[in-house]
Amino acid sequence: MKYIPTIGVECHVQLCTKTKLFSEVDNDARGKEPNSCVSPVDYALPGMLPRLNGEAIRFAILAGKAMNCKINNYSRFDRKHYFYPDSPKGYQITQFYHPIIGEGYVDLPSGERVRIEHAHLEGDAGKLTHFDKYSLVDLNRVDTPLIEIVSMPDIHSAKDAHDYCKELWRLMCFTGVTNGDLYNGNMRFDVNTSIAPEGSNELGTRTEVKNLNSFRSVERAIEYEIARQTKVLKSGEKVIQETRGWNDATGKTTGQRSKEEAKDYRYMPEPDLPPINLTQEFIDTEAAKLPMMPSEYKAKFAGIIADDTLEVLLDYPELMKKLGEISAGDDSSETVSREPYEASEESEPRDGEREQTLSKKNVSALKLLSNLFASVLLAEEKSAEYLNDLPTAMELSELAEMNEKKELSSTATKEVFLRLFDPQMKGRGTKNIAKELGLIQENDLDALEAIVDTVLAKPETQKAQDDFRNGEEKVIGFLVGQVMKESHGKANPSAVQEILRKKLK
Amino acid sequence: MDIKREDILHLANLSDFSLSDAEIESLGEDLQGIIRYISQLEELDTDGIEPTYQVFEMENVWREDEIKPQDASREQLLALTKEEKDNQIKVPKVL
Repeated sequence: MKYIPTIGVECHVQLCTKTKLFSEVDNDARGKEPNSCVSPVDYALPGMLPRLNGEAIRFAILAGKAMNCKINNYSRFDRKHYFYPDSPKGYQITQFYHPIIGEGYVDLPSGERVRIEHAHLEGDAGKLTHFDKYSLVDLNRVDTPLIEIVSMPDIHSAKDAHDYCKELWRLMCFTGVTNGDLYNGNMRFDVNTSIAPEGSNELGTRTEVKNLNSFRSVERAIEYEIARQTKVLKSGEKVIQETRGWNDATGKTTGQRSKEEAKDYRYMPEPDLPPINLTQEFIDTEAAKLPMMPSEYKAKFAGIIADDTLEVLLDYPELMKKLGEISAGDDSSETVSREPYEASEESEPRDGEREQTLSKKNVSALKLLSNLFASVLLAEEKSAEYLNDLPTAMELSELAEMNEKKELSSTATKEVFLRLFDPQMKGRGTKNIAKELGLIQENDLDALEAIVDTVLAKPETQKAQDDFRNGEEKVIGFLVGQVMKESHGKANPSAVQEILRKKLK
Repeated sequence: MDIKREDILHLANLSDFSLSDAEIESLGEDLQGIIRYISQLEELDTDGIEPTYQVFEMENVWREDEIKPQDASREQLLALTKEEKDNQIKVPKVL
């Protein structure tokens, strides 16, 4: 019998607000001492009251819009009770009854659509480190704002689950609501998997694998679960509904000992936080700040940037934004350096901007720069550092222009490109850097002709000249080399070759 | 609804309380009293009435996203715990 898997995903996204969801303490604990980003609110001292961070609401609107979701005007918070040392309060503040983000959908690159059931705001828990006989508690992460995105069970393969998680990651990174650092748990995935005989109207019993932090582990854990559940059913046994842990090293899930009836969370309305009641105007104003999304970039750059290059670059919102700026630019520097963000804040019609047809110059700039980003920049050891501080669109456009005009050879273009990121060289301007490095090619035909004449007058080139006249094509390379040497590498080799051929007729 | 001994033990277990027999007894009586009171309220017909979550009628109370200095230091907070280690709170091993 053939079994069809059905998968739903819950995804937790840590928001990169400056402060926590309910206290005015630093939300960025990267590289900081344990328990150094903790307020008496996070510590749950008696009498402490949560104060809601308005930025988290704005972020939720953006995140919701990125997933084509309805934003609910009315939402509120609830307490979810559980006892565990990662939560000093003894409950998590979440939105159980009235989430801020309603139904929506995410389209996968394969064309499949995954519906979003809802998404809500909640506080993260603290971090426990387990030792042999005790555990240590670090509360830095307590009440870091989270958006939990709950999908409908619309996914039917491990690969689609992988793609869905990756698409969510891209969407969240492009909106700028998260740092998106998967390694450090900025996004974590819980997957529910069940299998049912083909044609069956009922879903099978599901298992939940929690806390996966990479797309690959999502895919592998689901593949394993499908195989395991198939084996269980084929042997006539029943799948037990349970939470299972994923072990990346063994590639297996194992049943986790869970307390009986552990799901009795005794939800109750959070009395310390008044409800949120957003006007449609507020929602629309915030939603209009949504920057361009991956699918829009794809549509815009289709046919200009090669698909595989685009696929690589779409993992880097900074680079896509930069390419967007370059494509939006004309000759005035003002337009070139304008952030697409600001453009939408000025309530300019974004659609108009997108409909703008790209000039020939912009097309060749985009082709060149997308290749340089993908194959040169991202190959650099320091690329992560460079991504935080990209050259301006004007500097990059100028580089493309110099390459187009053959003022820079392709090797020189690469070299100047990298220098644009060099902290020592930064901000000096593309042309100045190219000049300083002596990389600008000589395109002045008169000047080139003079150099060619000098070389042809040298005794050591006489034999080569004769050979060429006698039909030995390949000695032209030697002659071009001599001219390049004479010009200290600045001559444009194709122009040199042309002149040589004319002179040696 | 009657509160049974198992209900008390279940709730105690969820909150990780250990209770003596005498405490179970007296808590049972207290909870029974509370539930009696609530049952009385439940006699009212509340069909079609929105649940009341709060009585202050406040909404949209939120703050700007700015870091403010905290009144309590890490040392003060950690001093409140039973045991600390490496600037973290030390707790018995769970699970």
